[in-house]
Amino acid sequence: MSVLLDAAVQAGPAVRSVPALVDFPFAEGYVTSVIAVSLYVSVAAVALSTLFGVPVAIAMGFADFLGKRFVKSVINTGMGFPSVVVGLLVLFAVSNRGPLGPLDLVFTREAMIVSQFVLATPPVTAISLAAITGVDDAVGDAARALGGTRVDTALVVIKEARYGIATAVLAGFGRAISEVGSVLIVGGNIVGSDGVSKTRTLTTAIQLEARQGRYGTAMALGAVLVTLVLLVNAVVVRLGDTGAVNR
Amino acid sequence: MIRLDGVSHAYGDDPVVEDVSLSVEPGEVVAVIGPSGVGKTTLLRLLALSVRPTAGTVTLDGRDAWALDDDERLAVRRRVGMVFQDASLFDATVERNVEYGLRIRRPWAERVRDQVRSVLGDDTIPEAVEEALDVVGLADALDQDARSLSGGEAQRVSFARALAYDPAYLLLDEPTSDLDPRNTGLIEAAVREARDRGIGVVVATHDMHQAERVADRVGVLLGDGFTEVGPAETVFETPADERTREFISGELVY
Amino acid sequence: MPIQRRDLLATLGAGAAAGLAGCVGLGGGREERPGVVGETLTLTTTTSTYDTGLLGEIHPDFEAMYGVTVDAVARGTGAALESARNGDSDVVMVHARGLEDEFMRDGYGVNRRDLMFNDFVIVGPAGDPAGIEGTDSATAALNAVADAEAPFVSRGDNSGTHAEELTLWEAAGTDPDGDWYRETGSGMGEALNIADQQGAYTLSDRGTFISQRSEVDLAVLVQGPIEGGPETLANPYGIMAVDPGVHENVDYDLAMAYIGWITSPETQEAISNYRVDGEQLFFPEAVSEDPDFQQYVPRGWSGNSTGE
Repeated sequence: MSVLLDAAVQAGPAVRSVPALVDFPFAEGYVTSVIAVSLYVSVAAVALSTLFGVPVAIAMGFADFLGKRFVKSVINTGMGFPSVVVGLLVLFAVSNRGPLGPLDLVFTREAMIVSQFVLATPPVTAISLAAITGVDDAVGDAARALGGTRVDTALVVIKEARYGIATAVLAGFGRAISEVGSVLIVGGNIVGSDGVSKTRTLTTAIQLEARQGRYGTAMALGAVLVTLVLLVNAVVVRLGDTGAVNR
Repeated sequence: MIRLDGVSHAYGDDPVVEDVSLSVEPGEVVAVIGPSGVGKTTLLRLLALSVRPTAGTVTLDGRDAWALDDDERLAVRRRVGMVFQDASLFDATVERNVEYGLRIRRPWAERVRDQVRSVLGDDTIPEAVEEALDVVGLADALDQDARSLSGGEAQRVSFARALAYDPAYLLLDEPTSDLDPRNTGLIEAAVREARDRGIGVVVATHDMHQAERVADRVGVLLGDGFTEVGPAETVFETPADERTREFISGELVY
Repeated sequence: MPIQRRDLLATLGAGAAAGLAGCVGLGGGREERPGVVGETLTLTTTTSTYDTGLLGEIHPDFEAMYGVTVDAVARGTGAALESARNGDSDVVMVHARGLEDEFMRDGYGVNRRDLMFNDFVIVGPAGDPAGIEGTDSATAALNAVADAEAPFVSRGDNSGTHAEELTLWEAAGTDPDGDWYRETGSGMGEALNIADQQGAYTLSDRGTFISQRSEVDLAVLVQGPIEGGPETLANPYGIMAVDPGVHENVDYDLAMAYIGWITSPETQEAISNYRVDGEQLFFPEAVSEDPDFQQYVPRGWSGNSTGE
């Protein structure tokens, strides 16, 4: 995981040129490190959400099991779960007094990953499921009629649903990187006295600026966040396009 | 030989086909004609081992398919190819579509290796894929996106997809009902080519002229079962059954 | 009086160091290297303290001295104390004596020290529709605002500043109620912006007001004790270690080292030297020839109390 962060920090020079266009009243490295933490936490959380949510969506799309409706309603409820509530629940879990207390996770990036995982998993799962169930039955029928096993059929349907699944992952990422409530609570919005972010993300940095009435810098950081989300979207869409033809 | 013996199938309490018997030899074309909604598609699905009969047996080359275990039935099932009324192509290139049947018949290790190769851009196109596309006149469409094809081209690719893995039997469900005359002609030519290769072909169609053009034998499906099965000439010229005669002469309107 | 104390401080020598600083700071040093090197101290504090930038200014000294990292987590006063109650922080720095006392009585905090103080000011539009400018009583000023039904913005977020405001209303004998009284549930900076836009009065800590006054069209109408205003507007900060008897995982050694360091004459001087816009924000009060024993215990505690 920390490899990701290192990579993000190393990508610093490229990123640094972005804030250089805006006059930030911050020490050098501050905005870069805040971006790095944002990306690290959200990418890691969404990667975990994808590893968990997409298989769940596949299982739900292809199999009938006891409690499926219940799982579905849990996911749908989870889509609208307020991030502050998730933050509080995760805080209770990772707090020294909570069940995960001995892991010493409170006010760490890992705790933020946990809360964003909880937030991103419902949309990733629900949108993936919608994409999978939205695939024309005829495609699965064709795969089976051509001699496909259940696994082959499932693979074909998943491939057909790949844009929808990519959308699901993007939606999860969008929710993760843009939420402020839970990361503020479980992460603590910490910056070291060397001016390098430890658990401060773009959203909590924006919140901090707004809290102090510095709306100008808050807006500038907001622009960085929006740019970042757009970039990630563009990259994923592009990957989807080049990967599509070959399947 | 693929054979239905006294086969019935019902969705719930509603029988779709009842007590149907039919056999298809390698190298012959059997047309199943009848009005829409009479159960032609269900009959093909029974032949394809996609649905399990509620009564009767489906026998393929002497083996009762539903008495076999799953692996054996898969092996039997894989000797059959099917083309649907709508082409139902996968969202991929023509080449990947046609190769599908070959691909899934290979062991997993090979499939994974091929997938990696194809991602790396190192694709070798199996000869069977090119041959099958050649039969439907689309040899130059290999790299096209399947979703960009016209309806007729898509249906021809769908035919090639089922032909590519050299099935013993080929089932076509209303393959030309949405097509223009030119594409219909190309599909019918491909059906003859398949027969010449020794494939047993079943064409379900509501187009009696098509049945006359391509079929060696014709089964007339009216109501819940066949009213008549026999050589095409006999069925069309001198049907023994009164309802068959009425249907063929257009007097029986559904 | 506070000003005199500040002047006194500046002349104090190193010899008057608080007893805690020396002995505990060395407590971890059984090996050749201090045993605390590489550890992380988690400090929960209030947003208004954090937002002044003081901690970022003084912490590098502590981190270099012990080879440790300080994670400063800014919260509302209530949340800062709650984190400490859960054992999620090692040391807590807040400015709400009543809540601090409760925290100690409940057994969560030990070794409290008075740290520093600044003050609150009542700010409002320069036009001053309620005519409170120059009033030398905070309660009288608030009552005038209430009588005039002039808009008043309340933090409404259970922060130390909010607690102070509620205490003042209670002392004034007025229950603020009506359209003119607006609870925002926001931080101090936002509350000042809202007051600015609505032409409203509000209670602010001096530090936040100074750091933001260039951006808002508000004026100080009632001064705090630093500028000769009423003592009721004093804003004293305290610091406490989380009780290792309740939470054995807390880094008590380091917490006490921190308390020792921040109450040492050197750091206290650094605090008094900290400037925003050329103005001093905090006035140290940890170092004294005549320590106030009440700083160590909940107010009103006597030897006969059970502490429960």
